[in-house]
Amino acid sequence: MNTALNISSSPHTRDKWSTAFIMRVVTLSLLPASLVGVIVYGWNALLVLALSVASAVASEFLFDKLTHKGDTWKDGSAVVTGLMLGLCLSPSAPWYIPVLGSMFAILVVKCCFGGLGKNFVNPALAGRCFLLISFGKVMSAYQIVDGVSMATPIAALKGGSAVNITQMFLGTANGVIGSSILALLVGGLALWALDIIHGQICFSVLISFTAAMGLFGGQGFDVKFLLAHLCGGGVVMGAFFMATDYVTSPVSRLGQTVYGVLIGLLGAVFRIKGGAPDSFSYSVIIANLFVPMIDTYILSKPFAYRRLARGKWDGSGPLLKRVPRPVIVLTSIALIAGVALSGVYALTKGTIEEQHRAAQAASYKVVLPSAESFEVDAALDQAVADLNGQVYGSDFGRSYINEVFIGRDAAGEIAGYAISATSADGFDGNITLAVGVSPDGTLNGISFTELNETPGMGMRADEPEFKEQFNGRTATRFKLIKAGSAIAEDEIDSVSGASITSSAVVNAVNAALDFFHTTVKGGN
Amino acid sequence: MPLRDFLPQGEMVFPLSQHIGKPAKPIVKKNDPVLVGQRIAEADGFVSAHVICSCSGTVKAIEKRRVLTGAMMDCIVVDNDGAFTPAEGFGQREDASKLTNDDILARVQEAAIVGLGGAGFPTHVKLRPKDPAAIRYIIANGAECEPYLTCNDQLMRTRAAEIVEGLELMLRLFPNAEGVIGIERNKPEAISAMEAAVSGKNRMRVLPLKTKYPQGGERSLIQVVAGANFPITKLPADVGCIVENVGTIYAIQRAVLYHEPLFSHCLTLTGEAVKNPGNYIIRDGTSFSELLEASGGLKEGVTLKKALCGGPMMGIPLGSLDVPIQKQNNGLTLLPEDPCEIAEAQMTACLHCGRCTTVCPMGLLPQLMAEAADDGDLDRYEKKLYGLECIQCGSCTYICPAKRPLMQTFKQAKAEIMARKRAAGGK
Repeated sequence: MNTALNISSSPHTRDKWSTAFIMRVVTLSLLPASLVGVIVYGWNALLVLALSVASAVASEFLFDKLTHKGDTWKDGSAVVTGLMLGLCLSPSAPWYIPVLGSMFAILVVKCCFGGLGKNFVNPALAGRCFLLISFGKVMSAYQIVDGVSMATPIAALKGGSAVNITQMFLGTANGVIGSSILALLVGGLALWALDIIHGQICFSVLISFTAAMGLFGGQGFDVKFLLAHLCGGGVVMGAFFMATDYVTSPVSRLGQTVYGVLIGLLGAVFRIKGGAPDSFSYSVIIANLFVPMIDTYILSKPFAYRRLARGKWDGSGPLLKRVPRPVIVLTSIALIAGVALSGVYALTKGTIEEQHRAAQAASYKVVLPSAESFEVDAALDQAVADLNGQVYGSDFGRSYINEVFIGRDAAGEIAGYAISATSADGFDGNITLAVGVSPDGTLNGISFTELNETPGMGMRADEPEFKEQFNGRTATRFKLIKAGSAIAEDEIDSVSGASITSSAVVNAVNAALDFFHTTVKGGN
Repeated sequence: MPLRDFLPQGEMVFPLSQHIGKPAKPIVKKNDPVLVGQRIAEADGFVSAHVICSCSGTVKAIEKRRVLTGAMMDCIVVDNDGAFTPAEGFGQREDASKLTNDDILARVQEAAIVGLGGAGFPTHVKLRPKDPAAIRYIIANGAECEPYLTCNDQLMRTRAAEIVEGLELMLRLFPNAEGVIGIERNKPEAISAMEAAVSGKNRMRVLPLKTKYPQGGERSLIQVVAGANFPITKLPADVGCIVENVGTIYAIQRAVLYHEPLFSHCLTLTGEAVKNPGNYIIRDGTSFSELLEASGGLKEGVTLKKALCGGPMMGIPLGSLDVPIQKQNNGLTLLPEDPCEIAEAQMTACLHCGRCTTVCPMGLLPQLMAEAADDGDLDRYEKKLYGLECIQCGSCTYICPAKRPLMQTFKQAKAEIMARKRAAGGK
């Protein structure tokens, strides 16, 4: 008989699924989103994804070799991390963004903390946050779909304007490579159906986020509003792919639900009170940090010790008794954070508005130097109110008319009109400016009251060389042309290297002038 | 694969301890003639069982032989004359109605019946709980959830009436109990055979079960039948249940009605390495290698890598096939490849995927238990994570995509905790 038989502990059979297999399935589940990203945004998106995956795998390979850790790079987890990070990047990101991000994710967040299964936050998200902090401006430069410059939908939503939900759902709006909600849902739901991700995490994230947005978002349970917020800013990506990361989510079902709710609530608080469109990444990361605490307090007990299962057997100790405590603790933390943020906002709101008004008044004075006093006019106010906060006209991009003042000189004569206009098409958010117009239609000058463009680039719009071009002009509409060649009365030189900012400024000025000619003059 | 009788020709080896409890004491000497059904060793105390000879011949030796656990153990070795001459006093059916409860229990004890599901706990002990009136369910375990094994399925198909009779006898001991025959749904023929045998009987029903390992685990069955979950420190009788394998119940019927001691039982010979898999009524003491050779041996060109006494989930690995089959052994699974070896090569760090938590029939958190055990934090393992509740079914280890040796870790941790407790208790 054969005498060299193997002896080992039972069980003597194993499931087919291996770590590498799970990683392959997760990678596959991300492919629809990657594919849509490449189709919509072009080859650069593919390059970003490829660089991100390649440098993630290379980083782990390098770490394995340097530290003699074996061949952990083969398990496929680096591919997943790289791909997830790549999908969270702008398709127009320069090459070093995915490379540095993946290196940070793998080398610092994963390998330095012990490799697979030991990282304390999601590596891909940590890599993304690292990039957001280090290369803020490059990271928020989203590419242009169809050559049209646009803010990302979630930034636009923050700016109060309407967004195209269908575009967001399909992934044809501006945004990160993996912004097709449809494709992400296909992958995410497949993972859920295959039992690879835990439904209690992803659905509690989505449900609590939606509920919190509905309750505190200021627009009630407006379907369009909620859908826009669900489809934007990485909520779906976060719920299905980031929050469900095995390593950085709790062990027990109840813990997972609490964790999901925490992410949803934090995400909503950041969305409502915070500024960054990328805030969902931060809410997942913050919730990651709570996981050890959740796992300490919310440990499910064996069936025999659960109160519900006790049934006819009554010899077991106190069971779910301790569960409410961590739920209360975490809910309180979320509530306190929310209340604190709203409190600070409420406290500073008055001051902010005062300063805003002072700045406004000062800028009106700048653009109408001859005016001694400013007054409102009921008819003009009504005209502004009639605009209903909607985009003004159809030729001025996303421009808005905020308010109109009549400036009177020392003699009480009308010295001119000060019109405040905003363009939401700035490179980094809104640009608000005051336009001073003489009664005869001559443009006295412009002054910025809100300008957050890139220093050295868009911010140069505030330099005399650009903004004083408007002084004394009589044109009713300006055209933006390439730097250095403006001659005609209606031509304005662009700030070099900042055509998006320049175009937004010109649009806002044109909107103000149009309002002057059609409403102020036409109406009077 | 129908049940076939297998009559061994070679020498027969009877370990003195085939059951849980104290080893039996031999009552024969070298060169004594023995017969089929003859008691050759006496139970030593209450929690113990007799040893019954399953062949006729002469006692060759009483010496240490290797048994299936790999250990050397005292055994009675019998030279088999191949005639299988039975001892007197059994084989005639008796009228059970005259038997008292004590008669039934005495016959079960005399017949040396132990739990044939695998553990080998003396049945007469199980049938004498503190309060028989508190027993609500007698659960006949026909789940047979181990993959590969099919002998209980065959037994239920062909001996349904006998099993039901055995169950009726057991129910006489427990006036308030209901007999529930639990069978996994993947055995429709067994279910219909048992349902036919049960029809018209009082206090008895067949309960088809979800096909799922470890459905045939004592605790899983009680969970389904009685809805009770109970800590590892408690016995099924504490929640009003007694679970017996259908093979054991068949043995009870033979013992009580025919006065026949337990010397044979059913066993599945299976596995990818076996040429002719089959189900057998096998005599205790037969060597595994004789059964394999007589069945036709291994498949041509196949090297045996792993031999399991039992099925692949909880089977005991055999270092050699030259060991005797014991009462409670219900399978011999022979594999050309060792899945454990393959798994070891694929092992990665724990992903915390939670699949082990999902499958644990006890509701434990294996990933955290393994972490605590690996960290040497046995206090956390025992008190926070209830690691002693592990029934070592191996489900977590089976499902683990990282191929972590979870159950091995738990076995060691439990052994260490128990050792510490004994040491602390001994002070």
